[in-house]
Amino acid sequence: MNRSGGRRPTEKRCGSARGRATATTLIVASALAVVLAALTLAPGAAGARHARAARVLNVRDEGHLHSVGISGSRLTEEGPVSGTIPGRVRVFFAYNGSPTVAAQFTIYSRYGSISGRGQGRVSDPASPAPSFRGALSITGGSGRYAHARGSGELFGVFYRRRLGLTVQAIGKLNY
Amino acid sequence: MAVLPSRAGAAQGATLSVKFTPERLGAPTTLSFGFAVAPGGAARNALTGVELSYPATLGISTSGLGLASCSPALLESGGPAACPANSHMGYGSALVEIPIGHELVGETATVALLAGPSPNTSLQLLVSVTGESPVAARIVLSAQLLPGRLDIRVPPVQILPEAPYVALVRLRATLGGRLKYYERVHGRTVAYRPRGIVLPTVCPRNGFRFAAALTFLDGSRSLARATVPCPRRG
Repeated sequence: MNRSGGRRPTEKRCGSARGRATATTLIVASALAVVLAALTLAPGAAGARHARAARVLNVRDEGHLHSVGISGSRLTEEGPVSGTIPGRVRVFFAYNGSPTVAAQFTIYSRYGSISGRGQGRVSDPASPAPSFRGALSITGGSGRYAHARGSGELFGVFYRRRLGLTVQAIGKLNY
Repeated sequence: MAVLPSRAGAAQGATLSVKFTPERLGAPTTLSFGFAVAPGGAARNALTGVELSYPATLGISTSGLGLASCSPALLESGGPAACPANSHMGYGSALVEIPIGHELVGETATVALLAGPSPNTSLQLLVSVTGESPVAARIVLSAQLLPGRLDIRVPPVQILPEAPYVALVRLRATLGGRLKYYERVHGRTVAYRPRGIVLPTVCPRNGFRFAAALTFLDGSRSLARATVPCPRRG
């Protein structure tokens, strides 16, 4: 049994009429590929943006954040995030006595960043750790996630004593 | 105690004063506010509510104040001392006018601001007003903390049946300040001082603007405004 795979038989066929046809097809295909590649790489080439295949990812991430800055009713929170897209997250969190909290976030992962925003309704504002639940939308990113879009649900707990935040995001990411 | 002359009912003006201590942008502070009804027969037209507007960028909800809540019943029966330490949010004083016979008697009362049960999605505050002499009494006002607004409701109170209502004519209070809270750290109870209201790092244009809209028993309203100029950056 020949363990060298299919290379040798193909090389053998090159000498035949069928082999010549195959070689011609390969040359034409290669030329087309070069032309297509040139078109794709050309600046401003029409349709270049559509060449990338869209990916969809079901995301479930959780972050445990601590306050790194406060300006009145706006907090800046940072911390590690684990789950489908692990990394670090930075959140701008606004809580001004309104029944809803608002957040803008950026997740910094190995392959790029993902940015979005969310809003949640607070359940028990008198609690030392009121929880909130709402919707989030992913608005963009960088690197692999440069074209990120998506939506999902946002869950969280705000620790009023130390201004910490635990957040969980569950949603669908298109990138 | 001061004895004040009886006054005829009339349209009532109001004043508002506000102060931050310390005044540093981006730093924790205390918020002292006071409103007063100008002379004009407060007892015949008692105050029924106050809407105190403040810049929504002030970090009252992020102050760490009011981590526990006190029930209104407990506050009424036992006073602020009966409430959990972590429910105390501030303190102050008040002047009430009590109609006794044909005279209005002024009584100074102590004020405590506490976090109350919050059945809905906004923080409820309780304002305890306790007087000792000449009339020993306690009134508990309820208030709701909304974005940029504190709504205080003042219930009608009578000392004697068929007598005019007791009138709240002045209230001064400080949110934050000399408060002692407790927390469990590694199984031990440790006292700490709550952070207090944090000023934003950026001052609003033309300073921090406050307003108090006072509502009276006859439905009339008075508006008072106050502005804290932009403090230096901390």
